[in-house]
Amino acid sequence: PERSTRVSKVRPPLHQYIRKLLFSDLDKSSIEHVLRQLRKLPWSECEAYLLKCFMKVHRGKYGQIHLIASLTAGLSRYHDDFSVAVVDEVLEEIRVGLELNDYGMQQRRIAHMRFLGELYNYELVDSSVIFDTLYLILVFGHGTSEQDVLDPPEDCFRIRMVVTLLETCGHYFDRGSSKRKLDRFLIHFQRYILNKGVLPLDIEFDLQDLFAELRPNIMRYASIEDVNAALADLEEHERIVMSEKGNNEKHSETE
Amino acid sequence: MKGPLDRSKVVLRHLPPTISGSALVEQVDSRFAGRYNWFSFLPAKSSQKHQTYSRAYIDFKRPEDVIEFAEFFDGHVFVNEKGTQFKAIVEYAPSQRVPKNWSKKDGR
Repeated sequence: PERSTRVSKVRPPLHQYIRKLLFSDLDKSSIEHVLRQLRKLPWSECEAYLLKCFMKVHRGKYGQIHLIASLTAGLSRYHDDFSVAVVDEVLEEIRVGLELNDYGMQQRRIAHMRFLGELYNYELVDSSVIFDTLYLILVFGHGTSEQDVLDPPEDCFRIRMVVTLLETCGHYFDRGSSKRKLDRFLIHFQRYILNKGVLPLDIEFDLQDLFAELRPNIMRYASIEDVNAALADLEEHERIVMSEKGNNEKHSETE
Repeated sequence: MKGPLDRSKVVLRHLPPTISGSALVEQVDSRFAGRYNWFSFLPAKSSQKHQTYSRAYIDFKRPEDVIEFAEFFDGHVFVNEKGTQFKAIVEYAPSQRVPKNWSKKDGR
């Protein structure tokens, strides 16, 4: 059959060079070199294109996403606005992913979760951003007319998103307030999971690995009733802590 | 963790894909000139698959300005040159980081 020849996209040399650096040269041993080359670029001309390429983390190897996060951190010293833009863009991509829930975007959505986790590991976002994102994933679109499109009962993709993010950076939430925040989130997460009913085995195994890694000693809740009771306890406890805190503040004011 | 009263960076989402940064600045400045430290505009990406929107991030000087900005621009309808309407959304930006202005010039 006759086919017209496929017209390949012609990119300006500068763009080709950026792509070569990021998509073929970049590995563990070349990262210093790539960073130096990126710093030498004419930034006013190519910052927008660079941002676009940094968002294509799903095109490269999954295990190399931390290199892109590392480059972002390396560049933030000289181009802080760029690292801010990378963070804002990843969070926007995650949000749009939830708004569309498009099957074809799944690979890149997982890559963006991993990227966000690595950006935390390189200290470009703080833990509140991670936890806000985790809760957003559990609740987005719930209670609206679109719930059946955005998170249908048999759809386990959001569990994969949470697992990916926590696999990447959850091990840092092991002390102090971030430990408490993760403990609290894991209860909410378990309620979400239990509402899904019986999970496909691959997801169940990923969850078992995640819990074994992050909280080897906790018991998973067996029923919605159990998890709801645990959440009620937690809320009661938080209420008491809050009111004690309030009382202490009042005391210190009168003293 | 920052409480709502410490947050000063907002994102303005669902702007018309074809709006220009300068046109947006003009609209924002008509009410909020001098009340923000940082403004960043991101034009929509060209995508055949999904409609994408333009976006802007603004870091206000005072948290009260955020409230007033949201009152005015959340749900504000922008109309493009073809008459299509776009209803903008104002939210706190999920990441509150803004560029430090001391960002050194790169000596490379």
